[in-house]
Amino acid sequence: MKRNPITLVTAGILALIFALMLFTFQVRQTEIAVVTTFGKFSRDITAPGFNWRLPWPIQRIYKFDNRIQNFEKKFEQTTTHDAINILITVYAGWRVVNPRLYLESLNGDSVKAEQTLEPLIRNAKNGVISQYRFGELISTNQADLKFDQIETNMLATVRPAASSTYGIEVAFVGIKQVGLPESITTKVFDRMKAERQTRVKQYQTDGEKAARIIRAEADSQANQIMADAKAKVIEITGNAEARASEYYKVLDQNPELANFLFQRNALEQSLKEKATLILDQQTPPFNMMGGQGAGITHSSPLK
Amino acid sequence: MATQSNNSNRGPEPKPRPLSPPPGQPPLLEDAGALALEEALKTSFRIIKVLMAALVIIFLFSGVFTVKPNELAVRLHFGRPVGMGTEQLLKPGLHWAYPYPIDEIVRIPVGQSHTLVSKTGWYAITPEQELSGQQPTPLHFLQAGVDGYTLTGDGNIIHAKATLKYRLDPTRAVSYTFNFAQVTNLIQNLLDNSLIYASSKFTAERALYLDLNAFREQVAQRFNRHLDDLQVGVLVETIEVQTTAPLSVKPAFDDVITAFQAANTNISQAEIYARIATNAAIAQATRLVNDGLTRSNELVKTVASDVSMFTQLQPYFRNDPQLFKQRLLTETMERVLTNAQEKFFVPARTDGKTRELRLQLSREPLRIQPPE
Repeated sequence: MKRNPITLVTAGILALIFALMLFTFQVRQTEIAVVTTFGKFSRDITAPGFNWRLPWPIQRIYKFDNRIQNFEKKFEQTTTHDAINILITVYAGWRVVNPRLYLESLNGDSVKAEQTLEPLIRNAKNGVISQYRFGELISTNQADLKFDQIETNMLATVRPAASSTYGIEVAFVGIKQVGLPESITTKVFDRMKAERQTRVKQYQTDGEKAARIIRAEADSQANQIMADAKAKVIEITGNAEARASEYYKVLDQNPELANFLFQRNALEQSLKEKATLILDQQTPPFNMMGGQGAGITHSSPLK
Repeated sequence: MATQSNNSNRGPEPKPRPLSPPPGQPPLLEDAGALALEEALKTSFRIIKVLMAALVIIFLFSGVFTVKPNELAVRLHFGRPVGMGTEQLLKPGLHWAYPYPIDEIVRIPVGQSHTLVSKTGWYAITPEQELSGQQPTPLHFLQAGVDGYTLTGDGNIIHAKATLKYRLDPTRAVSYTFNFAQVTNLIQNLLDNSLIYASSKFTAERALYLDLNAFREQVAQRFNRHLDDLQVGVLVETIEVQTTAPLSVKPAFDDVITAFQAANTNISQAEIYARIATNAAIAQATRLVNDGLTRSNELVKTVASDVSMFTQLQPYFRNDPQLFKQRLLTETMERVLTNAQEKFFVPARTDGKTRELRLQLSREPLRIQPPE
């Protein structure tokens, strides 16, 4: 009996697909897998790609997401080394690195894994925070601040237990939020207000002080500038007098003439403006008017 | 066609049953039904064959796909990315892959900008209040888990909010896509952590108004360091940071700001005064020195000219000192009398007695006493 070749090819393809489904499986880039044979661990697969298998129920494949999973919890209270109660939220990133251990200890259940990680991370957080003072968690002094160290120590504490017991690698642990109990926030607010009032007074006095200093320095500088200028003027005048004195030596040749010239100059300068002169006939050139006129003659410019 | 080919290859077959009765006899009812059934089956098989052929064609061409301009793609061959490093990323254009499940195409939207807000440090506010610009009622306490806030390095409480805009880093898009399960939550946590860390280093004043830029820089710096450490595959476009004092202590902070500004104003005014005073002193000093120079030059030149005149007049004086002096005095009197405002000539009395003159000098006006 002859068969239709297309039917044969189709049947062959279908049989091949069925066989591939039974005997092969893929592990995706984001996955990690465990192969068990009759329920017993056979091998784990940590690299993505094509794999052979024996069909179910001989072999069974367990695939797990090996991407970094996000873990976080809400505020929890803990105590610092100096007995200050704080509220803290941490987050972590974890992923499956040992699928066999993960399967055997947590049944490959991610919810169970997070439930298991929670006390581990809480213990690590409480243990590490209790070793540090509150002033090492928050501080304006770079040398005191141990924020990074606290996170690193929490990670170092939680990592070995998670890895060796559950096949989980905790990739990072970080602090997401730091808070204070409600009653403490009230006290902090009171302190903040008091500090601000002090700060207001400080700004007022500092500003006034700085302004006064600036003004005083400016006045001093101005006085200094004027004093320097006056000194310079005295120096200049002194130099001028010295030079003039050199000229005056010539006058020694004829003191009478020099004296006459000085007096004449002084007379002219002193009667230069708005002078009222009362002259008698002995004053030259009025001495030329000797015997003439019986009364006072007054002469003034146009008004 | 396939049907014909099949028929030609069948070889000897049993003689088919006649489809119609012998001539002269009426057709059998059963034969007619079988005939119709056979026709229907043939038609159905034809349709199924066409559908199968179409499915095969669709299957073969299903491997052709397009990567859009704002995305990249990774081809997973049996679950493993094809290529190494950035070669794994397929750029925009037409590509081909084996049909699923041999190959799988994972598209990565690299062109999109995402926005994420860290509100763990921000006060609780309803969307209605936020839209209307209202603020919640200030309370004298904060409830952890309800009211977000951060602790500053000087032990104060402030509210801080960070708004991140980011997009995927094309060179690290593979890491972003395949290494993290809830990548948005992770980025949110890293941003929260950066905000808390920056706050833990700054004083409240610096974080609130003195040095908000440095505060923002600190948030950005730590956030970028996290992204690099974890190879998240994200590029930061902008990080905006907003801070405010707790609502119940905000007036106290406002007072500080007012005092701070007043102090600065006071200092600025003092600086202005200083500049004016110094400049005035410099100007006055310059004028003083210049006047001194002018006077000195004038003195020297005057003396020089006096001496020059003395030297020139000396020969004439020696000739006849009396005449010389009389001449010069007369010339001088001429100028003096010409310039004088008032001149009184009082000649000697003819009787030889002394003439008496009385001068009435103007006095200072009397002050008017106010009425008691």
